[in-house]
Amino acid sequence: MAGLELLSDQGYRLDGRKATELRKLQARMGVFTQADGSAYLEQGNTKALAVVYGPHEMRGSRSRTLHDRAVINCQYSMATFSTAERKRRPHGDRKSTEMSLHLKQTFEAAVMTQLYPRSQIDIYVKILQSDGGNYSVCVNAATLAVIDAGIPMRDYVCACTVGFVDETPLADLCYAEESGGVSSLALALLPRGGQIALLQMDARLHQDHLETLIEAAMTACKGVSKVLDEVVRQHLQEASVLTGE
Amino acid sequence: MIKTERVLHLKSCVGRKVRVVREHYLRERVPCCSSLCQADCVNDGKLLPGDLTHYVVPDVAVVVDYLEILEFRELQGIIFTQTACQALQNKNRRYYNRLRTLVKDPRHDCVLFANEFQKYAYCPREKGESQEKWQTRCVYSAAVWYYNHLAGMMNIVMITEDPEAVAQFSSLTCGVYVISVQDYLQSFWSDLQAAHELFSSISQAQQETEGDDGEKEFPEHLPAEVLEAGIKSERYIQGTLNVNKHRAQNEAFVRPKNFSTKSTDLTWDVLVCGRKNRNRAVHGDEVVVELLPKNEWRGKGTALTDGDEKTGEDNESTPLPTGRIVGILQRNWRDYVVTFPTRDGIQSQSRNSQRILTIPWDQRIPKIRISTQQAEALQDHRVVVRIDSWESTSFYPNGHSVRVLGRAGELETEVQTILLENCIHILPFSDAQLREMPVNSLEKPWTVDPSEVAERRDLRDSHLVFSIDPRGCEDVDDTLSVRKLPDRRLELGVHIADVTHFVKEGSLTDLEARSRATTYYLADRRYDMLPAILSADLCSLLGGADRYAMSVLWELDAESLEVQEVWYGRTLIRSSYQLHYELAQALLNGEQVEVLELANLGPQERDSKVAQLTEALEMLTHVARHLRAKRDRGGALELEGVEVGAQLDEERNITALVPRQPLEVHETVAECMIYANHWVARKIQEAFPNQALLRRHPPPQQELFNQLVDTAKAKGFTIDTRSNKALAASLDRAVDPQDPLVNRLFRMMATTAMSQALYFSTGAHPQDQYYHYGLALDRYTHFTSPIRRYADIVVHRLLTAALDMERGVVSGKAPASNKEVEEMAHHINSKNRAAQAAQMRSTALFQCLFFKERDPQTDPCCVADAVIYSIRDNGVLVFIPEYGVKGPVYLKNKEGLVVVARQDGSCDWQGGTVRKCPDRITTTSSCGTSTFKLFDHITVRISVHSSTCHADRLNLEVISNKPHHSAKSQQPSPQGRSQLVKEVVRQNEEALAQEKTARRPKLSKEEREFRQSKTPSLYSILEEIRELALMDLEMASRLPATTA
Repeated sequence: MAGLELLSDQGYRLDGRKATELRKLQARMGVFTQADGSAYLEQGNTKALAVVYGPHEMRGSRSRTLHDRAVINCQYSMATFSTAERKRRPHGDRKSTEMSLHLKQTFEAAVMTQLYPRSQIDIYVKILQSDGGNYSVCVNAATLAVIDAGIPMRDYVCACTVGFVDETPLADLCYAEESGGVSSLALALLPRGGQIALLQMDARLHQDHLETLIEAAMTACKGVSKVLDEVVRQHLQEASVLTGE
Repeated sequence: MIKTERVLHLKSCVGRKVRVVREHYLRERVPCCSSLCQADCVNDGKLLPGDLTHYVVPDVAVVVDYLEILEFRELQGIIFTQTACQALQNKNRRYYNRLRTLVKDPRHDCVLFANEFQKYAYCPREKGESQEKWQTRCVYSAAVWYYNHLAGMMNIVMITEDPEAVAQFSSLTCGVYVISVQDYLQSFWSDLQAAHELFSSISQAQQETEGDDGEKEFPEHLPAEVLEAGIKSERYIQGTLNVNKHRAQNEAFVRPKNFSTKSTDLTWDVLVCGRKNRNRAVHGDEVVVELLPKNEWRGKGTALTDGDEKTGEDNESTPLPTGRIVGILQRNWRDYVVTFPTRDGIQSQSRNSQRILTIPWDQRIPKIRISTQQAEALQDHRVVVRIDSWESTSFYPNGHSVRVLGRAGELETEVQTILLENCIHILPFSDAQLREMPVNSLEKPWTVDPSEVAERRDLRDSHLVFSIDPRGCEDVDDTLSVRKLPDRRLELGVHIADVTHFVKEGSLTDLEARSRATTYYLADRRYDMLPAILSADLCSLLGGADRYAMSVLWELDAESLEVQEVWYGRTLIRSSYQLHYELAQALLNGEQVEVLELANLGPQERDSKVAQLTEALEMLTHVARHLRAKRDRGGALELEGVEVGAQLDEERNITALVPRQPLEVHETVAECMIYANHWVARKIQEAFPNQALLRRHPPPQQELFNQLVDTAKAKGFTIDTRSNKALAASLDRAVDPQDPLVNRLFRMMATTAMSQALYFSTGAHPQDQYYHYGLALDRYTHFTSPIRRYADIVVHRLLTAALDMERGVVSGKAPASNKEVEEMAHHINSKNRAAQAAQMRSTALFQCLFFKERDPQTDPCCVADAVIYSIRDNGVLVFIPEYGVKGPVYLKNKEGLVVVARQDGSCDWQGGTVRKCPDRITTTSSCGTSTFKLFDHITVRISVHSSTCHADRLNLEVISNKPHHSAKSQQPSPQGRSQLVKEVVRQNEEALAQEKTARRPKLSKEEREFRQSKTPSLYSILEEIRELALMDLEMASRLPATTA
């Protein structure tokens, strides 16, 4: 696929966005009553469902218990129908395990775990449809779910991917762009303080460009946080109407 | 965040059919790029003018097939739709890139409209709708959108090749017309003959391509994925195809693109033998080869051939890696000049008389099949064609004609051919470009701007500035100054014409200059890079006139001549003396001479002025000697150049060429220029470590010196090529006191072994590669001739930006990035190469024309003395110093006869054998044997081997193995050269004058248009002479300093 032109001379990307524009982001909180917290999030054509249980006491091996803070347990999975060609296993393969680990690291940095010693928080994320930026969509969905569960966090965790094409950073890559050989970077940010919760990059990139790329990723993450904030406020309003307050 | 809407796209991918859903965002605001826009579109960049009668929206099929017609600059107001662009991209990448450059080029009146992202112009594809229909509908809705967007102020014409679309849409919206290409051309551009011809030629070619089947002549190319995988696994080798000029049918080489580290045996080119193995690749294509098993490897022919290919048993060298081409990654087809054969040639070629096999001018290109109805009229004409395709079922590629150059053999045709074959496209400067130029006429003289005076350092009164150039030079781009400062210091100054003050970056003139990249010097004319008002007047640092300059001033210690301080900046100067070399040298020698500028002064005043000037010159010489010595210690090379000067009469015609006495003042000026270039290179490299334009001369490959070393050994000299210093020293030692030519030949061979000096961006190479081998400097660039070279303009801008940065001034625009500079460097390099090749070709052309007029049997001009410098299997290569010609001499002809010398030295052909040794070649026949050794002087007769299809060639025939003694050979050597050019020009002008009445006026108009300066300028002569000596670019960089 050497032929795809990811950024045209007029500055349009394959799907008609400009370099800094995000995909359409829609979300809903509290989609399940069973769970402590849940959220559904669409970012373009990537759709994810996140569910949070806890904090509750340790289940399974009690040896993992931490005495000063809560343990965060993450599981990432992809629905078999989420990609163009059907997947064999929804979870447990190397990629999913790695992704679970990344999610865990991200949320350990954001959730105030020291409030719940000797307990456990479970976060389950499922990708229903995959169209690029799976990690960031999971993080964004999980954030909403954690908020829905009422677990205190330092800040929203917002994540976004950025790619680098023709000396220009592209925000929020879709699948076609990701597979087009772009060197991409995923960044999870606590927007208010500007702290980076996780930064991941697999491709080669010249050192000089890293700064601009991170800068672009941060701007994109702040954009995401605005949308998430709106969703949360909307949800609160609806909830307060329902409870009659 | 922007409001977006999502639409679904269906797409099937590789392998199984997969349904892929893609997002598609639409927006209301998409720039329309029209100056009529009422809706405040954010238009930056090119705008379509509002004063046209209509805008054109070409349909997809039109863009794909007829892009060449849309490339005419006369067609204005073209709107390319994104739909068409994408279709083109999928179909033909090469054309897509052309479309992109077209849209970027501000000289073309066309824009790209992203119609698929416009909310109201976009229409989703309906179920069951074919792709073509949908695309046409998209283009139409874009046209309608334009009409509405511009509030009906502009008519829109959509051109399509689909008759259904014409029927369906033409009456749908008023103001939007849908017509076919042919109707469009006829009704709107009926006077644009070239476009009509091109249209009919393309549509004919299109019809022909359909329904062409038959058995396969060539194996199919492998698919791209297989090639890619093969290259990665090192099963295949990727490289550029290079066809051997002398054995175009059989021999071609592929130079591997990246030497892989693992297979070290592959350090040499891969040989591709025969057309079957070449598999439809054309010279210059990027190809993929597969190596054949070792037992099929072949060697390359070592015998001399003249391109006829029928020589039978060729001797072959040791087997080389041999391969066959399995695929082509990138076609590099350009425009080719071909010749239509005469009628008797047509009969045998094709069952269909409309299809003609034409013969390209470049021997390396295969014959091209053209379908045309004008075959009769175009007999023996040279025509520009483009190759369209080469199917595996066809023995020859298919093409279509683009335009007719003229009858083969005419001077104008031949010169145009040379330009085209080297991809040099020169149109006269357009009105819009000339409007940008400042005016300097008698009524409205150009004056210095007071605001500029305030900004610049004024050197008019403080410095004695003078220029030293060849006699009669028009474009003076460098001047010098030198003066004593207090506290035992000297100040040396080099002042270069400030071209960038007049040529603003991004202006039309700038773009034109960039695409030309250099001034082209042909044997009889030149094509300037900048309009004459700049090159010969406002930028030229004429004597006694106030001019803007860019200066470098060094403060040197008076004793040690070490640099104490350097100042760079813009200045205002007035050159006091416009000297020429001979005059300057005479002043230095203390002779009594007339200085033109002082002619009407009193004797005392004059004497004091002359004394002042002489003192300055002496100081300059002193400094230059020191600089030269310093560079020599570093290992600077002196390579061979035939040094000649031209004498002009009052009408500035060349009366004679006299050998230029190697005046010291030449070197003095050159040295100062090299010094300025070097210091500017240092400055810009320090200011912009990643994006400065410098010039490097990579050290030569040692294998290339083999011929030189071996030849020298035969003569008893050793040449040490380990470093530039050792080479320079050993070349100095290799002098045969009896024959000064020997040393010249050695230097020439050394020059051919050199790699070419190149421009590059500092960000693209590690710092240890900046080195300049020829000049022995660690950093070098071109700064001193901005009138003739675009690289110098770039360097001037960089220097200005560096100075601004230093002063803390934020200049409006950031300097070009490393990528852009590197692209620019590539462009300039390739243009320089083209300019050189064109120059060489045109020189050869004039040589041939010169000898064509003469009868080789009787005319004494055609007999000359030649020196053997290389031995081949069936002949020798000789150099003729009198004409500066190099060429082969056959000792064994095709009938198997060999040359045998009789007692008195004269030679004739007899049956016999030839035996070749490293340093001699011996012919044996019944009458005895004769031996030709390296560096023997022989006498040859020069005749012209003419050919209608290709360029004429000189034919050399040995007539005696003794040196040729004639009255002429006593005279200084390269004399015939100038006469030759002059004579041919004169003859041609006479012929033209005679024909002018008979011929159509069109041709004489072309004559006026293309020939910018009719009389051979001094420049062209000097440049051409430089070419003769096969000096490499590097020396070239030094010579301009002496000429300009």
